[in-house]
Amino acid sequence: MDTDSIVKGILSRDTRSISRAISIIEEGNSRGYDIVRSIYRKTGHSHIIGITGPPGVGKSTMIGMLSRMLAKQGKKVAIIAVDASSPFSGGAILGNRIRMQNVLSEYGIFMRSVSSRGSNGGLSLATWDIAKVLDAAGNDFIIIETVGAGQSDIDIVYLADTVIVTLAPGLGDSIQAIKSGMMEIGDIFVINKIDRDGSYIAMKDILDNVYKRDEWLPAVVGTDSLTGEGYDKLLEAISSHQAYNERYGKKKIVRYREEVRMALMHEMEIHVDRIMNSMIASEDMNLSYDEDSDPETTAKKLLPIAFKSIVQDETG
Amino acid sequence: MWGGMYLEAGKNLSSSRPIKVLLAKPAIDGHDRGIFVLARALRDAGMDVIYAGLLPTPEEVVDIAVSEDVDVIGLSLLNGAHMSAFSKVVDLLKEKGINDIAVVGGGIIPDDDKPLLEKIGVTGNFGPGTPLNVITEHIRKRGEEARRMKEM
Repeated sequence: MDTDSIVKGILSRDTRSISRAISIIEEGNSRGYDIVRSIYRKTGHSHIIGITGPPGVGKSTMIGMLSRMLAKQGKKVAIIAVDASSPFSGGAILGNRIRMQNVLSEYGIFMRSVSSRGSNGGLSLATWDIAKVLDAAGNDFIIIETVGAGQSDIDIVYLADTVIVTLAPGLGDSIQAIKSGMMEIGDIFVINKIDRDGSYIAMKDILDNVYKRDEWLPAVVGTDSLTGEGYDKLLEAISSHQAYNERYGKKKIVRYREEVRMALMHEMEIHVDRIMNSMIASEDMNLSYDEDSDPETTAKKLLPIAFKSIVQDETG
Repeated sequence: MWGGMYLEAGKNLSSSRPIKVLLAKPAIDGHDRGIFVLARALRDAGMDVIYAGLLPTPEEVVDIAVSEDVDVIGLSLLNGAHMSAFSKVVDLLKEKGINDIAVVGGGIIPDDDKPLLEKIGVTGNFGPGTPLNVITEHIRKRGEEARRMKEM
């Protein structure tokens, strides 16, 4: 499939084009950039919901129920689920789909499993651009599930318009543990598996710890993803946060800045690789082990040379 | 030496997407221990693996394969429905004009059925006792073929 027909396909919601575009973006080469550039003007309409929380609290099952409710209201929904890839083999078992397949089949919802590819913030680098593809395809909601590693899953705060932190009763000490990281990023807190013992203690734990950020007081909702209990309240919380964003919203700016920062870092990384390799290859630079100069001092000494090389490379 | 390692680390992070495999049992068959073992072996061989869960229909298998843009569909049945279920998956792929996803089979498949499956493009057809590396290497080979088709 050539780039033009893929772009056309994305805009007309053709599953194969969307799916292929995502693969190309995951490959991380210039073709992905071409696609994102071509669709960029059609983006900015989707409400991005990020779902994060520790493993096993029911994030995937919750997404199934949530997307069913949204689809029933006639909303167009797409899902991205990020799962961890093995640091040893690079492979991954992407297991989120089986928790929601029934809903996906029933309502024809597009869902894509993505492996984290060595990223540590709970998303893969490609996730940002994949969201743009699904946005341009005209989805009202894009639901993104992070890896679920707990405290470090905070990249989602930059990408999502609404961050839902999902917890479950009986986590005990781990609820205490995540208070520092996760308590700060949630716009909505969900205690899932509310039918279980200890759910009210878990609710109280969270209620005691949420505080107003800007003008938004995070909502705390209890849900049961098998019966659908509490989901009406969750949908209400999502739409009032959406309304809040529209009034006070800085999310678009925050996201844009983070994306520019990441792109800049990426460009720099390529330059650093190039410069390192040429320094290693060069006879007179002689970058080898130096017992008199610690690595940081050596790097600082090299910085002006590196900058000069970047300027030369960028200006031709 | 150092330079080599440096490039290697950079490469692992961003470029070259792993072969992506969908494992499915496209009929009424709940014996999933084997497919779990295979899923792990494929992960350890550096591939991205999706398991379709229990009791997906052939239609669902093909829909998932398209949404996930997989390179290989690995079908397994232990209940004797392989001739009808596997060929249904192949037919659905054909109907959608998809020629860049390979189909590999396995399970309890009588020797007489193997050439018939090969003929419709379902290769491998591994039975119990097949060493895992034989299966992963076959899937990798078919996956790489499919990937080349995608890039055309």
